[in-house]
Amino acid sequence: MKYGDQEENMANEFPFEISPMFEGERVRKDDMFVELAGPKSRGFELVRAAGSDEIKDGKFSLIGPDISEMQEGSRHPFAMIYRIAGKLVEPDLEAIVERRNHDFQNYIQGYMHLNQRYDVWVRINKDAIKKGLKSFEQIAKATMMLFRNELPFIEKIEATYITNPEEVEKQRAEAIKIYETRDARTRGLHDEDVDVFYGCTLCQSFAPTNVCVVTPDRISLCGAINWFDGRAAAKVDPEGPQFAIPKGEIIDKEGGEYSGVNEKAVALSGGEYSRIKIHSFFDYPHTSCGCFEVVGFYIPEVDGIGWVDRDYAGTAPNGLAFSTMAGQTGGGKQIIGFLGVGVNYFRSPKFIQPDGGWNRVVWMPKNLKEKIKADIPPELADKVPTEDDASDLKTLRDFLEKKQHPVTQRWTKEETAAEAAPEEAGSLAASAPGWSVPAPTMSMPPGMPAMPQMQFGGSEGVKITFKNAKITIDRIVLKGKEK
Amino acid sequence: MIVKKGSFVIEGLENVQINIGKIGAEQEQAVEGPTPRPEVISLRNWDYRILDRYNPVYTPTSDICDYCTYGKCDLTGNKEGACGIDLEGQSARQALMISVMGAACHSAHGRHLLHYLIKKYGEDHLIDVGPSNLKAPLTETIMGIQPQTIGDFLPVLDYIEEQLTQLMAAANTGQEGSSRDFESKALHAGMLDLLGMEVADIIQISCMGLPKSDEKTPMAEIGMGILDPKKPVVICVGHNIAAPAYILDNMDRNGQFDKIEIAGLCCTAHDMTRYNRNAKIIGSMSKELKYIRSGIPDVLVTDEQCVRADILKEAKKLHIPVIATNEKITYGLPDRSNDSVDAIIDDLVSGKQDGALLLDLEKVGELVPKLAMKMGPIRKAKGLTALPNEEEFKKLVAKCTKCLQCTRDCPQSLPIGDAMAAAAGGDLVPFEILHDKCVGCGRCDYSCPVDIPVLNVIEKAAQRVIREEKGKMRIGRGQIGDPEIREEGRNLVLGTTPGVLAFVGCGNYPDGTKDVYDIVEEMIQRSYIIISSGCAAMDIGMYKDKEGKTLYERYPGRFIKGNLLNTGSCVSNAHIAATTIKVASIFAGRKTKGNWEEIADYVLNRVGAVGIAWGAYSQKAFAIATGCNRLGIPVVAGPHGTKYRRAFIGKPYRKEDWNVLDGRDGSVVNVEPAPEHLMITAETKEELMPLLAKLCFRPSDNSLGRAIKLTHYIELSEKYLKKMPEDWHVYVRSEQDLPVAKREQLMKLLEERGWKIDWEKKKITEGPLRKVDVSFQPTNVPRLCKEAKK
Repeated sequence: MKYGDQEENMANEFPFEISPMFEGERVRKDDMFVELAGPKSRGFELVRAAGSDEIKDGKFSLIGPDISEMQEGSRHPFAMIYRIAGKLVEPDLEAIVERRNHDFQNYIQGYMHLNQRYDVWVRINKDAIKKGLKSFEQIAKATMMLFRNELPFIEKIEATYITNPEEVEKQRAEAIKIYETRDARTRGLHDEDVDVFYGCTLCQSFAPTNVCVVTPDRISLCGAINWFDGRAAAKVDPEGPQFAIPKGEIIDKEGGEYSGVNEKAVALSGGEYSRIKIHSFFDYPHTSCGCFEVVGFYIPEVDGIGWVDRDYAGTAPNGLAFSTMAGQTGGGKQIIGFLGVGVNYFRSPKFIQPDGGWNRVVWMPKNLKEKIKADIPPELADKVPTEDDASDLKTLRDFLEKKQHPVTQRWTKEETAAEAAPEEAGSLAASAPGWSVPAPTMSMPPGMPAMPQMQFGGSEGVKITFKNAKITIDRIVLKGKEK
Repeated sequence: MIVKKGSFVIEGLENVQINIGKIGAEQEQAVEGPTPRPEVISLRNWDYRILDRYNPVYTPTSDICDYCTYGKCDLTGNKEGACGIDLEGQSARQALMISVMGAACHSAHGRHLLHYLIKKYGEDHLIDVGPSNLKAPLTETIMGIQPQTIGDFLPVLDYIEEQLTQLMAAANTGQEGSSRDFESKALHAGMLDLLGMEVADIIQISCMGLPKSDEKTPMAEIGMGILDPKKPVVICVGHNIAAPAYILDNMDRNGQFDKIEIAGLCCTAHDMTRYNRNAKIIGSMSKELKYIRSGIPDVLVTDEQCVRADILKEAKKLHIPVIATNEKITYGLPDRSNDSVDAIIDDLVSGKQDGALLLDLEKVGELVPKLAMKMGPIRKAKGLTALPNEEEFKKLVAKCTKCLQCTRDCPQSLPIGDAMAAAAGGDLVPFEILHDKCVGCGRCDYSCPVDIPVLNVIEKAAQRVIREEKGKMRIGRGQIGDPEIREEGRNLVLGTTPGVLAFVGCGNYPDGTKDVYDIVEEMIQRSYIIISSGCAAMDIGMYKDKEGKTLYERYPGRFIKGNLLNTGSCVSNAHIAATTIKVASIFAGRKTKGNWEEIADYVLNRVGAVGIAWGAYSQKAFAIATGCNRLGIPVVAGPHGTKYRRAFIGKPYRKEDWNVLDGRDGSVVNVEPAPEHLMITAETKEELMPLLAKLCFRPSDNSLGRAIKLTHYIELSEKYLKKMPEDWHVYVRSEQDLPVAKREQLMKLLEERGWKIDWEKKKITEGPLRKVDVSFQPTNVPRLCKEAKK
């Protein structure tokens, strides 16, 4: 019953409910009391780290008219600036904290927050006003409460909201500069610039042996956690599912193998594997849980790597669909020949670096290619075929040859490559299916349906099983044995 | 000369042509788990693990047994019957029989379809279900095989049939005597049921062009008010698409969709819309009697399952010919399969015969539209309906003596007398409300001492709302494709999806159809994934919001948080259960073939999925629920579910029941009761919703997931039960598990409970049962622990 009292107190504090239930809530034009920022106005949101003594915890200031002074149906510019402080707070965390403003504000019933940074778009529902929402202070206090609850490294927080048009314009220009600086830092930060990577085992609740290593050059493969996110989460709860991994000794710079990562990998995969090369496709590749957006697959016939995303419904030139190939990998297992990645990994400067990087990329669906167009090295842009250019191994080979794709230079070295590959697989060969070995080339009579080449392997030759074959025989002449 | 069996040496071949249908590499068919084609007791150890934690609780409706001539035997007060069985054993035996009945229904449905489809498409017709690596997850997990063609399902059905025979045999007097083993056998039957359903739906999806894991299927119209009663109307009743498909093809060929209205009642309606977008849906079994009595149908076509036993009798009164197309339901009708279509039509139109048994589906296809074109004008000219006219209606409602006998006999205890009185005073609203709550069983007709045809009166009074009864349902999509599951994995892990809720089953709701809509709306706004099938899927689409939109129009149909999916008919239920297998395969790389126990163990401990059969009525629904239970999925039934007479209830206060092993080292960990029950009923929707949130807890939850699940558990309890749940703290392992919006308040409450809080660090330092450890690998199966493996 004590809780009931608490509830009343909470209810008194805010005239609205706060729950993730309202996350998907949309405020339509007809139900809208007021619109803030958005495509027809201006605004932004910004989080800044500050010194502890600069901040008065819980303080709220408003520059410009408050909700109670706004007319029903009107539209106003809107800015939200939060300043945070704490022993663990640092500028690198600003962007991470800032992104949560969207989540938290959407918990508020009758309040819609869309987009981020200078694209924010807010609407307040008429019902919320009826229930007693009068001031931005109420919104800001609720948001700050959520910030503090969820991110305990924030020891102090204060908020300034601006609805005065001139002031929004003025500060917005400043904010944009800050975003640009931040982006430049993110782009400029590479694996070699940091001492600590972050591990994420969040998905072990479903994928028990998977460990995601998040580095400046490698976003988590679900796409949800970058190096900065990992850093923030590790500060919230250092013993939690996202944690720092000191890099330790560099074992393989090109492939991205570090002693620190290997140690963690053994411990957290339950001994499932002992080495990870973060940027390698063939050699101790990074594992995946299952939610990867794209799967890479080795095509032995051209000694290249194709990529297919989960929205692509057709089959790749090897005759297999995304689902089939994805089914070979994932589940927190190290599988040679397939690699699950997030779309963002194509943007990494270390993208499958030891395996030739982009020079090894020989196929991807049109839509995927379009999505990451800006990140494909310009000289390769028209050399990577899509389903329009290559639908099977023959057309793939022809296309690569015609366009003089860099992978064709490997073809001359085919012999050596073919022998090197299984060796590279090393001790993992047992768990890896045989298709890391380039398949023997078979000549098929014309008109024969294409077979999934990778089913063959080893040196026993081809075994054909007639299944459900109907043998039509005109007449059987039986020469019975004498009894 | 007689050619004998045996082998021959062929010494020469001359002019022999060898036709090769297909070439493929040898499939790796290696069985991966220990129990391919599990026999009756192969999975008994797993069943015991379940039953020891989730104890069967029996609510028998009778405490005598009268199955054999020793009896009848009084089993009250723990007395044994003449054969030695006690009431617990007898109750478990009934659970087995109900489960077998249900399983037999779906697999017989599958068998009928497979016969028919093999005949039409050949055994080699390839399976095609959409983007999926595991194309038949249940078949793989149970049988240890990966079917490629529809013919590959032949041994699957053989297996099911053999097992069901073994199970049914065990129920005979003088066979099984242990209640625990009866329940293990019931669980086996439930699993076979899931398998039978999977076979039935995969083959029809593969052969008949039904949607293949399609998230964007079009909408079908649904409701008692959607048909144009001026046109000839064909109504198909039941579950099996084979016969209706011929009718639809015929109408398509003859361009008759604008001339004849064709719709379905119960699951056959689902499959008709999946097969041909011109078909429409009247509704669930609850609408059968109501719709027939309206007199709107001009021809009734029955196939199998959920077809009322009195259809012929009711139809006859209104001169609606009945075409029975399946040997399971024949109504004593003459078999006209070998007669000419025209001769049959003559006999039916003239009224010489009330209906026909017609097992030649080609003929059904030809006959039904023709018959409808003839019957339509005749019946409409006569204005045939069972409903009273205005005048009669007034007299009938005035006749009511308010004796309340109808209310006593009504399965829903509806206040019919009050509605009669109101109607006598000119107020029809109470009857309009009753129309939604009424399951259309017609028992009231028999109970009225002054012979008021009560159901007809209700329906007459509700004409205004019936005309408005026009909803939309997204057509059944089939399986959930792998790419969708992979995409959703992130939400499941990051806790933005609190769980997967499967709304399935029939229309025997405790308080009307609208409950399902209300529950789904609440839960979908909370970002649960809602998957449905069967009659529940229909009823979700029957209501509209202020803007005139149904839930299907408001929420998309992808397997993503806050989406609303319809897999299809009753047999499409299998895909919901199968999705949990895919999760185990996709995210944990668990081997599936012949590996039921390991998969079920994964599902029980990790996958926050719950089934809701709010209006479950049939033995089939019981079998489905029991099958889901064996797979580790908890199921909640509506209050009528107590009449199934058996629940699987966990006892949270018995700490030792909640010991699991940590797969990493085999150590024993005492965990929170999650999921708390495997099969339970809820009395009201208010009780149901917090319960659903609670049953989504799993021992493996990470803090993000746990916090969101706890948020909804607490909020739903406060919203609908007006109180904090009594056991919310049991699910708190650290401050990170607490709902973010109430973290501080809840920590204060925990402190009052005696937990220790470090307020400076805002951390819980003492109190929880155990710590959060995301790498914890909860399992109930000792052999799956690392140490055991070595």
